[in-house]
Amino acid sequence: MTDISASGSVAATGGKDGTGRTGMNGMTPGVRIAFLCVLVGAICLALSPYQAWIRTWPAALTLPATEWIGAGLTTLFEFLKPAARSLARLLEYPMAGANRLLVGSPYALTIGVFTALGWHIGGIRMAALALAGLGFVLASGYWIASMNTLGLVFVSVPLALIVGGLIGVLAHEICSLRRAIETVLDIMQTVPTFAYLTPLLLLFGFGPVVGLIASVIYAAPPMARNVLLGLKRVEPDIREAAIMNGATRSQQLLLVEIPSAGRQIMVGVNQTIMAALSMVIIAAVIGGFNDIGWEVLLTMRKAAFGQSLIAGVVIVIFAILADRMSSALARDGKRHSWKVTASILLAAVVIALFQNSALPAAQDFAAFKSAAAVIDRSLGAFIAANGVILDGVKNGTMFFVLLPLRIGLEKAVLPFTWGFQWTTGISIAVFSIATVAAIVLALRNHAVAGLSLLIATGILVTGITNLPWPFVLVALGGLGWLAGGTKLSVFAVSMTGAILSIGLWEPALLSIYLCTASVLICVAVGGAIGAGCAVSENAWRVMRPVCDFLQTIPLFVFLIPVLMFFQIGEFSAFLAICAYAIVPMIRYTHHGLTSTPDELIEAAVASGASEWQVMREVRIPYSAPTILLGLNQTILYAFSMLVIAALIGTTDLGQQIYLALGQGDVGLGVAAGASMAILALVADRLIQGFAARQRHALGL
Amino acid sequence: MSHPHAAISCRGIWQVYGADAPQQLKRALAETGNDSRAAAALLRERGLVPAVQDVSFDVLEGEVFVIMGLSGSGKSTLIRTISRLAEGTAGSILIHGEDILTASKQRLIELRRNKLGMVFQHFGLFPHMTVAENVGFPLKMQGMSRTDRRARALEMLDLVGLSGREDAFPRELSGGQRQRVGIARALAVNPDLLFLDEPYSALDPLIRRQLQDEFLKIQAGLQKTSVFITHDITEALKLADRIAIMRDGVVVQIGTPDEIIVNPANDYVREFTRDVPKGRYSHVSSMMNMPETLPAMPDDPKIGEDMTVDDALASCMALYQPVPVWGRDGRMAGIVHPSQLADALQVERT
Ligand SMILES: Nc1ncnc2c1ncn2[C@@H]1O[C@H](COP(=O)(O)OP(=O)(O)OP(=O)(O)O)[C@@H](O)[C@H]1O
Ligand SMILES: [Mg+2]
Repeated sequence: MTDISASGSVAATGGKDGTGRTGMNGMTPGVRIAFLCVLVGAICLALSPYQAWIRTWPAALTLPATEWIGAGLTTLFEFLKPAARSLARLLEYPMAGANRLLVGSPYALTIGVFTALGWHIGGIRMAALALAGLGFVLASGYWIASMNTLGLVFVSVPLALIVGGLIGVLAHEICSLRRAIETVLDIMQTVPTFAYLTPLLLLFGFGPVVGLIASVIYAAPPMARNVLLGLKRVEPDIREAAIMNGATRSQQLLLVEIPSAGRQIMVGVNQTIMAALSMVIIAAVIGGFNDIGWEVLLTMRKAAFGQSLIAGVVIVIFAILADRMSSALARDGKRHSWKVTASILLAAVVIALFQNSALPAAQDFAAFKSAAAVIDRSLGAFIAANGVILDGVKNGTMFFVLLPLRIGLEKAVLPFTWGFQWTTGISIAVFSIATVAAIVLALRNHAVAGLSLLIATGILVTGITNLPWPFVLVALGGLGWLAGGTKLSVFAVSMTGAILSIGLWEPALLSIYLCTASVLICVAVGGAIGAGCAVSENAWRVMRPVCDFLQTIPLFVFLIPVLMFFQIGEFSAFLAICAYAIVPMIRYTHHGLTSTPDELIEAAVASGASEWQVMREVRIPYSAPTILLGLNQTILYAFSMLVIAALIGTTDLGQQIYLALGQGDVGLGVAAGASMAILALVADRLIQGFAARQRHALGL
Repeated sequence: MSHPHAAISCRGIWQVYGADAPQQLKRALAETGNDSRAAAALLRERGLVPAVQDVSFDVLEGEVFVIMGLSGSGKSTLIRTISRLAEGTAGSILIHGEDILTASKQRLIELRRNKLGMVFQHFGLFPHMTVAENVGFPLKMQGMSRTDRRARALEMLDLVGLSGREDAFPRELSGGQRQRVGIARALAVNPDLLFLDEPYSALDPLIRRQLQDEFLKIQAGLQKTSVFITHDITEALKLADRIAIMRDGVVVQIGTPDEIIVNPANDYVREFTRDVPKGRYSHVSSMMNMPETLPAMPDDPKIGEDMTVDDALASCMALYQPVPVWGRDGRMAGIVHPSQLADALQVERT
């Protein structure tokens, strides 16, 4: 589960120029930037029919960076390969050991051990959860596949904990390294999951070891982050008490600081376990191993949705068990009686002894074969009956929301769908109306709103994927300047410029488009739900477990239900992204709106503010920084799902990464992965900047 | 010129926060001709924080030396510099004649294991250890065996009135109890020097008074040299042998409680003592004098030099002639005029 305060979010770059401050000639920085954007946008629009380079970056100027990266990495890998292969061989041992242990043990024993553990750390509820969950896994017939997956997790988690823990301690101890390590952790958070796989595949060779290493790389950062955070948060008095008692540095660290940070470190352990599980499952896309992720993929490709749903449920069960058990371990609640634990274990051993003679083999269970068939049949029936409605939803969203965003109203509005043809005349009319509205707004002291309206109109008419690149760069630079001064502005422009120059601009715009579309929906819907939960306790009581649940299940699983109803395509991808990325928006909106200091609310009420006025004047402004952070998380979530969604039909950077994986093209994989990370990083820095600014303005 | 019996002797301590502080301080001092006030102003102008400026004092063996001042005046910084939790920017600090600023890391650890104890405002108890383990921690650092540690910890807990709670965790204790544990831990190694940084500020007044009394009792028995920080003037007057008053990083006055009350060095100090019932904290000895020729003294209300002004006044209020003051040794130590005593209270009440 995500702890809001600890969720690793990227440090904000605080600038010095206030957005709200009035400039010398009455123009705030915000107005100036908006005005500049409008100007550049208008010029681009006017020139683009005559100057092709404005719409598409000239091929002559495109650097063959993809090839360079590919060649460079291939050469580098030739050097590293022997070491990497030896490491892979070394890792074979623990992997084989864990695998033999889990697959080889009688399932009755395995289930018994987990049930006993559940009892010991969480009493009857946890024991029941373990028993029922693993019972389902066994009955589903996916026991062997699950144990193959679990075997990898068993090896990758300790490795990730050790590596992450060491990195965290190192970052804390060596101040000169801290900034660098934190930056690397930030970047790793944004690098898409599939992007690790291609280079690893080349380096370590085809085999489950790739999944193992990918999951260590992916799961170590949360541990490192939380260890660092925990150590930083040790109270100065405790730290100094250890010094004054004559402890050496290592004694301080081992005897005092690390144990004092235990709670935060356990949060890290929980996050690491979840991340490792999730990545091991994702790594199934490289294929060939009989693990549970592969089962999902395989059944999905065969459109055997009943089976794939059941395999998905198995994954969810593991995720929930892992999450609940590790967070129960983190709470230092009471431990339950050893006697019961021992009796459960004993019973398990006894059953296990008779398992071979009395019970069917693990792979012979297929309790849900018929259930899967029923699901498939009723799904077919449902789609046949409601196909019109489903298609209506899908086509409606495509034609009236997604396509206009993607290729612009001027191309998306066709007689066939909208009932009329978009013409230049309409464009002129729309722009004129928007301009008048902008002027009216500006006269009423809402200059920024007015200009933003104009910009939004321009984007909507042109479409995100047709945006002229000079406009995009100017807009990002301007936002960067507003959010964090010159440094951030330069960062945003140069980073995005890099994507442009290496020829990945088109897929990048597609990513931006799909991300924008989903984030807009998440903000509207998630924001509304969050606000509703802030108003009504009961609504939150219902939503909270839903949010917990959605955040626990691995990304992969989101694909199954959408595919069931909407087949492969952009719309399904869009839905999956929304379903995953909406959670932070709900959570942070709720958190922000409910955590306004009571004093402030009371002060407002005492001044005679109505409920609605309290909301508008106090709650919303004070929750703005928190909600902005929620938006930030939503965007990061959307980007990580974007990559996974490549499996079900997108055309963006995520798809490039996925293609590169299939072709073993490191250059493309790394370049596209880096571009994706850049987009996420730029979005992250911009929003963090605005949030920091808002917090600063509120004196928080 | 450090005092022969000084347990701690500080000379010219500076603590400046900011980039390149030592260099900046040298430059500022050179530019202002070693005028520390002007140098501090210059440093502040350049964006550094001179939290402690050119502070010198001696703490005598066995005395309770209280540092007091408003929030942000640099008290904690000073004590942390002396205990080398923070590295001072300039100055010298001798503890029992040993220069601690040049002490090696190893020597520093030794000193802390054997000579120094510290009590913290927010207790600084280790949350994952029981009370006894907390108290035994410095002993563990000394390398003492587990059973000896436990025995010594119980002894210490008994001293601070916490017997029976040795296996509780800090989170199960009240604030007052936690600070008792903090004190027991600081005393466990029987240190020569005790640093206490606002040890009672986080506690409510009743508990605070109780712990102050206990501190005096323990102090009477153990006679530790203590440096005690507070921003509460009544606490300072009650506990101190001598008080140093700090303002914006500068020590503005050092003196006994009587001197602080009777002869405040400036308005800042006077402001502190404004609401203090002076008669209760000042003593006759600070107001008597010994003229060459004794005036006529028809009455002898048996006033001793250790009496508080309040008590003395109560017994000579009705008199209009000077009265003798008797010393501890039974001889006359001086004379005082009752109106002098009354005046002392009067003046400060305005
Ligand atoms: N690490 C630091 N970096 C910069 N400035 C500091 C640092 N530590 C303390 N200061 C500054 O030094 C000054 C003195 O702080 P100090 O904590 O010593 O005050 P104090 O007298 O102990 O106050 P309080 O009663 O609030 O504890 C303050 O202005 C503070 O902001
Ligand atoms: Mg302090």
